[in-house]
Amino acid sequence: MLGTIFQQLLDGITVGIVYVLLAAGLSVIFGVMNVINFAHGELAVLGAYFAVAITIQTGIGGNAFVVALVIAPLLVGVLGVALERYTVQPLYGRNPLYHILLTFGLVLVINDLIYLVWGTGSFRLPRPGVLTGTVGAFGFGVSAYNLFMIVSGGLMALAVWALLEYTRYGLIIRAGSQDRQMVRNLGIEIDRYYSLVFGVGAGLAAFAGIILAGNQQAHPDLGMSIIIPAFVIVVLGGLGSFKGAVVGGLLVGILQESILRPWVPWLEGMVIFVLMIGILLIRPHGLFGTEHAEEGGTERLLAGRTGSLLERETRFKLGLVMIGVLALVPIVAGLLGNLFWVTFGSRVLIWALFALSLDFVMGYTGLVSLGHALFLGLGAYAVVLGLIHVTSSVFVALALAIALSAAIAWIVGFLSIRVAGVYFAMITLAFAELYYNLLYRLEITGGSEGLGLLGQDYYYGLAGIGASLDDIAFFVGPVVLTGHSLFYYVVLGALVASYFVTRRMLQSPFGSVLKSIRENEERATFLGYRTVVYKRRAFVVSGAFAGLAGGLFALNNAFVSPSAAEWLKSGEVIVMVILGGMGTLYGPIIGAGAFFGLEQLLTHYTGRWRLVLGTIFVLFVIFLPRGLVSVPTLLAPYLPGGPGPTSATEQLPEDSSTEGGD
Amino acid sequence: MGRDGTYQGSRRQLLRAVSAGGAAGLVGLAGCVGDPEEATNGDEEFDTIELAVLEPYTGPFSDLGEERTQGTELAIEQINDSDEFEFEIEYDTYDTQSDPEDALSEAREAVQSQGAQFLTGCISSDVALSMNDFALDNEVLYTPGAADVAITGERCNEYVFRFETSTAQIAEAMAQWTYEEQGDQIFYHLADYAYGESVMNEFEARMEDLSDDYERIGETRAEFGATDFEAYITQIESAADEADAVVIGSTGGDLVAFLSQAADRGLIDEIPIVTTTASFTPIRAGAGDAATGVFSGVRYYPELETGDNQEFVEAYEAEYDELPDNFSRVGYDSIRMMARGIQEAGSNNPSEVADVLGGLEQETIFGPNEFRECDGQAVNPVWMGELTEGDDLPEVEILTELDGEGAIPACEDTGCDR
Repeated sequence: MLGTIFQQLLDGITVGIVYVLLAAGLSVIFGVMNVINFAHGELAVLGAYFAVAITIQTGIGGNAFVVALVIAPLLVGVLGVALERYTVQPLYGRNPLYHILLTFGLVLVINDLIYLVWGTGSFRLPRPGVLTGTVGAFGFGVSAYNLFMIVSGGLMALAVWALLEYTRYGLIIRAGSQDRQMVRNLGIEIDRYYSLVFGVGAGLAAFAGIILAGNQQAHPDLGMSIIIPAFVIVVLGGLGSFKGAVVGGLLVGILQESILRPWVPWLEGMVIFVLMIGILLIRPHGLFGTEHAEEGGTERLLAGRTGSLLERETRFKLGLVMIGVLALVPIVAGLLGNLFWVTFGSRVLIWALFALSLDFVMGYTGLVSLGHALFLGLGAYAVVLGLIHVTSSVFVALALAIALSAAIAWIVGFLSIRVAGVYFAMITLAFAELYYNLLYRLEITGGSEGLGLLGQDYYYGLAGIGASLDDIAFFVGPVVLTGHSLFYYVVLGALVASYFVTRRMLQSPFGSVLKSIRENEERATFLGYRTVVYKRRAFVVSGAFAGLAGGLFALNNAFVSPSAAEWLKSGEVIVMVILGGMGTLYGPIIGAGAFFGLEQLLTHYTGRWRLVLGTIFVLFVIFLPRGLVSVPTLLAPYLPGGPGPTSATEQLPEDSSTEGGD
Repeated sequence: MGRDGTYQGSRRQLLRAVSAGGAAGLVGLAGCVGDPEEATNGDEEFDTIELAVLEPYTGPFSDLGEERTQGTELAIEQINDSDEFEFEIEYDTYDTQSDPEDALSEAREAVQSQGAQFLTGCISSDVALSMNDFALDNEVLYTPGAADVAITGERCNEYVFRFETSTAQIAEAMAQWTYEEQGDQIFYHLADYAYGESVMNEFEARMEDLSDDYERIGETRAEFGATDFEAYITQIESAADEADAVVIGSTGGDLVAFLSQAADRGLIDEIPIVTTTASFTPIRAGAGDAATGVFSGVRYYPELETGDNQEFVEAYEAEYDELPDNFSRVGYDSIRMMARGIQEAGSNNPSEVADVLGGLEQETIFGPNEFRECDGQAVNPVWMGELTEGDDLPEVEILTELDGEGAIPACEDTGCDR
């Protein structure tokens, strides 16, 4: 019994020490330059793969392990410096949420590069003979390699601590993470230290990645599986605090390995996120974080519309033409006998609706939700469960999905909106992960197998009056519209309706307050508006539309599984909003089209289409943060007959104050 | 390797789309006046059939997906070169990733855009299950690559025919051997998803039949795709005195990572480790020495002298310069059996092929075999093996064999109603 407890504690420390190294870099990078680095996990995996190259691909084997442990982190460190120089630096001075977006793009790029270079397989890192097998310690047989992980990881953490505590560099970095402006005022160019901090953080991550790969294996998805726990730890310990990262890392390691898994395994995955939510609510700056004014918080998110090129009426007509073109898709596809464009179109429009819902809260109130897949998943499961257990009317099931998502959005909003900026992003991520884990555990959701709608009789209608889409057909000239084609019109109708409803909302006094919050929340407060209430309402609206998108998502697949609520989906929808241009309701729709169009185009040439997508996304975040919808305005001065550059800028103030988004 | 098909495929697709666009439009015209239900896919006169190869080329099962594609492509090549068949197979490959949504989207493109009537592939159980429903819904014939029992069990349908050996079949051999050689006190370690769950259910059901004293000593469940197993190994160690064996219900990267960490901790010296899939080449390659001494159910091994297996092995080695393994043989004979069904039906209409394929006796690498009429499951033999030290990889040493009839559950026990 004593042996087991000792072993369990050892397991906790082994895993915890890796978390410490990962979280330390992540935390210090945030503390000093306010950058949330989503790519941190990928940098760790890159370290592991460099070690694979040094040990396996040179043919040296286990004896090169120690060499790899020195060289690979240095290489990744250099890469980190380069990343900071060329991608992160252009964004300083912008809202820190752009760093989340940028580094999410880097995740896609680095991950696909790993696939390209090392293939899809996994590698087991060869290690020197001394580090394999078991050794006796305190009368117990203990894995030699686990002991090595604890010792080397501990020494590394100690070295970083000493660096921070006893060197001049460390002094400046610590000062910088407490009050950047003060350091600048003292005549120190803190900006020059940014590259160094980023590089060291990346190197630390790589070191952690290598010792982890020695224990497990190097495989391309490792980064995705370690980044979320690393975030939890950083939040628990306090963003910016090295001490917090150490305590948080060991705490989560021991909690996970020594307490939850052996004793209450069904709570694993939930306790940790509940803890994260609790900490964010009670002590947003974490256990050891210092409460400093978030200087980035005042910088605005860049909305898509900087001025309209076209007259209002022309735009309205253009919109109608777009709807008309979309409505023709099934007929043209029917004429060509290629139904694929109909189902593909449905998928794009569903995601467009989802992106629109996110934009309503992100583009208009400046709240970046990293957990919007929560509502997509809620809507999807509500519709499927509703159709199986409650009703056979699709409309009733969709109404259920909207109501449930709105209700949960109110609760999440009630708890989350008291924190802002990065903390809000983190807390929504935690809620989504909590739900995602719950889907696996519950009996009613069918666990990992998900739930299918096949064999369920359901109809489009109300109170028993209606029909299944497969049983009715419309004859448009030579084309029969039935099944998927009709579903396409259901989706298109939902999207158009949602667009006009949200547009009307934004033109109402409610919408004006939302926009004033986005422009300057302090002033809105001074005017007497309770901004928290308005933000929460916007969040509920957003959640409701996301729930509708989720319901349609499930109907389109006739199937739902927990992957509907995974965090990658939250990331992807943000990508769509940014691609299109946030803060305009049509931008996200264009963004969704661009996203899937790109995927469709690229998958014909390469399986690694995310590499191209990620690169384009990174370029957008750096050079075109207002998205595709800003392209016409940027081009306007160079177009013959278009308004000159001056007239475009003249329209700016008028635009942001008088018009609703459309 | 397997992806080459994609690039050639896309060029071909383009040409076909251009040339066939007009013709397909005419078919659409002809079909529109009647009932929308009327099936228009399939005709009596045909020279080609359209096959969609849907495999996870990215994600945790990508090695297996590539391997299966090699077997599939070899069978297609042989069929297209052979006089035995009066048609040719045209195919494209699609990346299902490991997400049912992506898989369904790819399948829709295959069926609706490229006109595929036959689908094959998918390694992961949840993806394969969603594809089961898709096949029925779209009336296309599907030969899955996953081992989950429900595929030819509770969620079976008349369009699904499986040459992969199901977990029920492998559990039969494993349970008999474990009971005789190790005992009936069992600890389970599962990957927490459809496949892991079915390993425990199937193994347990058979153990209960074999022994009145059977007991489940304990179980640990790791998230699917987990990489860290320290805490679970500690729990298994602490139950090692009571339990006679630990049965592992996981595969792919999960199993490799588990075996690596178990070896570091010396778990195998404390308790016999019984797995379902450690005999797969990618797993032996991934785990290396860490797999030595582990027991495993065996679905296939290349030295087998049954049917035309040796010709298959020879052709496979000539083509890819390596020995075939379980997934390549599944890809290979799934296609051959399906093609013989098409030949027999004399039609490329999936519904007509499905009608004759069930119960159609044919020669396979396992000798005479068939997809059973009651559930579409192939009657494959199974083995129990031990991994022993080898030159590059650990080798599979066969311990016992169980014939096809002995391993497959009785029709009335499958839960399949088709």
